[in-house]
Amino acid sequence: MIWQLDLSILSLIVVCAFATIMVKDLLSAAIIFGAYSFLMCLLWTELGAVDVAFTEASVGAGVSTVLFIAAVHQTSRIVKPRKSGRMLSKAVGLVAALLMGLVLVIAEADFPGFASPFSPASLHLSPYYITQTLHDTNVPNIVTSVLADYRGFDTMFETAVIFTAGLAVIAILRRYKRDDSTEIPESYTISEGYPDTIIRFVARQLVPFIQLFALYVVAHGHHSPGGGFQGGVILGASFILLAISFDTRMIIGLMSEKSNILLGNIGVLIYAGIGFLCLLLGANFLDYSILSKVLPATDKIMARSHGMLGIEIGVAIAVMAIVISIYINIISHGKYDKG
Amino acid sequence: MQSIISDYNYWIYILLMMIGLYAMLAKNNLVKKVIGMSIFQTAIIVFYVSIGAKEDASIPIIAHGPGHGAVEAAIDVAHYANPLPHVLMLTAIVVSVGTLGVALAICLGIHRRYKSLEEDEIQEQL
Repeated sequence: MIWQLDLSILSLIVVCAFATIMVKDLLSAAIIFGAYSFLMCLLWTELGAVDVAFTEASVGAGVSTVLFIAAVHQTSRIVKPRKSGRMLSKAVGLVAALLMGLVLVIAEADFPGFASPFSPASLHLSPYYITQTLHDTNVPNIVTSVLADYRGFDTMFETAVIFTAGLAVIAILRRYKRDDSTEIPESYTISEGYPDTIIRFVARQLVPFIQLFALYVVAHGHHSPGGGFQGGVILGASFILLAISFDTRMIIGLMSEKSNILLGNIGVLIYAGIGFLCLLLGANFLDYSILSKVLPATDKIMARSHGMLGIEIGVAIAVMAIVISIYINIISHGKYDKG
Repeated sequence: MQSIISDYNYWIYILLMMIGLYAMLAKNNLVKKVIGMSIFQTAIIVFYVSIGAKEDASIPIIAHGPGHGAVEAAIDVAHYANPLPHVLMLTAIVVSVGTLGVALAICLGIHRRYKSLEEDEIQEQL
């Protein structure tokens, strides 16, 4: 950790946060927010949290920015000033923010010293994870083993939360033809645009490599940063790239609404199914070591490693399907049409 | 003075949280409020990851010899960053894209009905 680098990245982050809030154009705000996320990603790498950095790079700087731009594209771009009560709302916001800041500054006095190896958070549970991971599971990436094995329940319900979020977006936005009474005016739909040969060619050439990389990220998450969440988001992003450079209809042809929901279901089911398989074989829910009974040529330790790979694949499938589904819903205003 | 320099991560996280809260309360535009919410979320993530950081620590991937099962003799705990906050925040980031999608979907639904994303214009129509 280099404190000069840390400090300069942090000050840039604060500048970006101010700029996103202050700028009047929502498209610029979305793009500055992407830069903000990317700086965050640098900060995580610098603090040693490589898995978090990977997630932030694919989710924060990638998919979030695309979702913001899609939403801005579908609505209006310019922020109008408040007609009345501007000073009042600003004063209320400032007072609340300052009050919260004051409370946090007072609380800061009791925090453990920054980057101290003896802070309470690093003394109780994490030494066990750090020293026992290789012995218990044969997975050198501690983050993966904690995510998928020691705290497997937590991750299973996180996956369920993402699945629920995808369902919520569909429930809010999806419109079927027959009850399409509130037709949005023509100015809000996007013109077809002219086909740009260069963009289309490059996108088409890049997509297989992106997907190959995503599969590598999923499969190699045991030994390097990465895993189901990151790989799934990258897989979803490759489809979104196709949707942006070609046409949303083409993506709907490749990944229809039905197959998206089905894949999301399958992903969550793979996760829960592996858990139930462990239960059926006579161990606790998500206790992968029992899987050595069904997997050929594995001992209990390697079975935990393979069990993690299985649930990572489930997570990747679910996350990919939900990311694509959210994007298609937002860009097409729930009509599964052009965009 | 010493604490200001050594604990700058904590000060920045407080500042980011204040910016996020201000945007959520004072901004008129709904998309701006959603951006404020995301900044608030990242502020909390900064806090957690800062807690997990250790001085002169490496990334939480254990260096191991070639081949599987080559366990090093002794693993020094102080040599690896605390992996627990990383795990919690990794899933938090992925969930945040889910909540962001839902929030933007609600914004689009409001825009579909009221043709506006400005808080005061929507309130006039209510």
